[in-house]
Amino acid sequence: MNQLKVALAQMTCIKADKNKNINKMRTFAEKARKEKAKLVVFPELSLTDYVVRDLLYELAEPVPGPSVEKIAEIAKENKLYMVFGMPEKSEKAESVIYNTAVLVGPRGYIGKYRKMYLPTHSVFEEKRYFRPGYETPVFETELGKIGLIICYDVFFPEVSRALKLKGAQIIICISASPAVRRNFFETLTAARAIENNTFVIYVNLVGIEEGLQFWGGSRIISPSGSIIKKAKYNEEDFVVGEIDLDDIKHIAAFVPTIRDLRPEIYQKLKDMAEAL
Amino acid sequence: MKLTPQVLELNWEATAERIKQFIKDYIEKVSANGVVLGISGGVDSSTAAAISALALGGDKVLGLIMPEEETYNPKDIEDAKLIAEKFGFKTETVDISKILKAFYSSIPAFNPEEKISKGNIKARTRMICIYYYANTQKRVVVGSSDKSETMMGYFTKWGDIAADISPLMDLYKTQVRKLALHIGVPKEIAMKPSTPALWPGHLAEEELGIKYEILDLILYGLERFMPPEKIAEQLGLSVETVNKIKERWVANEHKRRMPLTVKLQYRTVGADFRIPRTK
Repeated sequence: MNQLKVALAQMTCIKADKNKNINKMRTFAEKARKEKAKLVVFPELSLTDYVVRDLLYELAEPVPGPSVEKIAEIAKENKLYMVFGMPEKSEKAESVIYNTAVLVGPRGYIGKYRKMYLPTHSVFEEKRYFRPGYETPVFETELGKIGLIICYDVFFPEVSRALKLKGAQIIICISASPAVRRNFFETLTAARAIENNTFVIYVNLVGIEEGLQFWGGSRIISPSGSIIKKAKYNEEDFVVGEIDLDDIKHIAAFVPTIRDLRPEIYQKLKDMAEAL
Repeated sequence: MKLTPQVLELNWEATAERIKQFIKDYIEKVSANGVVLGISGGVDSSTAAAISALALGGDKVLGLIMPEEETYNPKDIEDAKLIAEKFGFKTETVDISKILKAFYSSIPAFNPEEKISKGNIKARTRMICIYYYANTQKRVVVGSSDKSETMMGYFTKWGDIAADISPLMDLYKTQVRKLALHIGVPKEIAMKPSTPALWPGHLAEEELGIKYEILDLILYGLERFMPPEKIAEQLGLSVETVNKIKERWVANEHKRRMPLTVKLQYRTVGADFRIPRTK
């Protein structure tokens, strides 16, 4: 199956209320099923809301864990794949939390990605709370090969490139980006799609928290960088767009970035980055 | 980066929209009946009141006009009423003269020559009146402070700065004037010389010793980590002038924070208690 409908659930989240957010996810999932979407994507930390600060210590859960099970149940009921964000508590060490994207499907929990690049500048304080991830898994599903990234990761092309080199056809970027950074994300999400010949599905939070207005503007971007479907700016929205994985083949011949990769540059980059 | 007036230009329509959404969202989240704010007839409070009315509807906004004998200015009162009429919100006048006299006569150490301390009593008295209306009518207090004055510490601690939300605090004074014009505040109010009105003839630019057009560009440069030497060179000022502004900005951080306490326990209010705002 190379054509599929993807739903972008650009939701406002209820602060620190996991049950209410799961209920919202259920409503969006049902809507997605009705519109014949196979995949529905929610924003970064959509289980808890983005700005929860010290409450993260009580809100974080293992993955898989109780909330993942509930959401996996929704996926099963609606025969859907779902991607959402949540704070993940390590089962091996106390007070170790990850900012995690979770993929569940019609047969339950599939896998997770832990955010590698944690913004800790300007209004962001993620390193205060989270440990960075070290893995870039790609999940082979009946929809295609899916890689996950989270928000600030999009500024680091190597994360998406790693996913591409593992065969990703769809890169899903869940996000909580405030309005002053909109231009960056609109440019970079398209860049990641073009340079990797992949679809990029970007789903951003909306709503105002601590004076930050999350701008929404979620989108499905084709491997040529064009926007297939876009949600509204600054308000809750739900849109469905269709992608055709065969488009990757067409564009890869036209913009053969992976054929033209120069592996030797990576060692040089490593040396230069270490000497910065 | 070139420090020219253009750097202070924003998309005023989008800015007004963001501020309106911010006010509306906050009032809804805290389930308040509306907002209350002091209105002086100056640009900041006129703009704060006008944009609140645009965000919420005039029936949700109450403007308090709080004159006192010493700085009584009928033109300012007229301007405050004009804004209220134009943007469709109610006003109430609270003459604070008697309250002030009671303070002056009740404080054994009161010295009328200490004009800043005396002026601060006026600003704090207004704050008390505004919060009385907020408490009894379940309203949110909207502050009018702009970024220039907040960075300079040019306000009364616990006085005019006191508010629940300050929708203009990330806009420099010259930017507030532009926003004011954009949303329909009459030009003569938008461009009126700023005054804290703590004593007769009190003018902000005179007291600060610099024009807002220059001050805002200096602050803009400092905000973006520009070295004072570079700011001075670009604006044709002495490094000493820029350094004075920088020192004043840094020295007034105590006015912009929770009270400092000594760290004694596990998590401390104002230090490492980091709780999200839900109200």
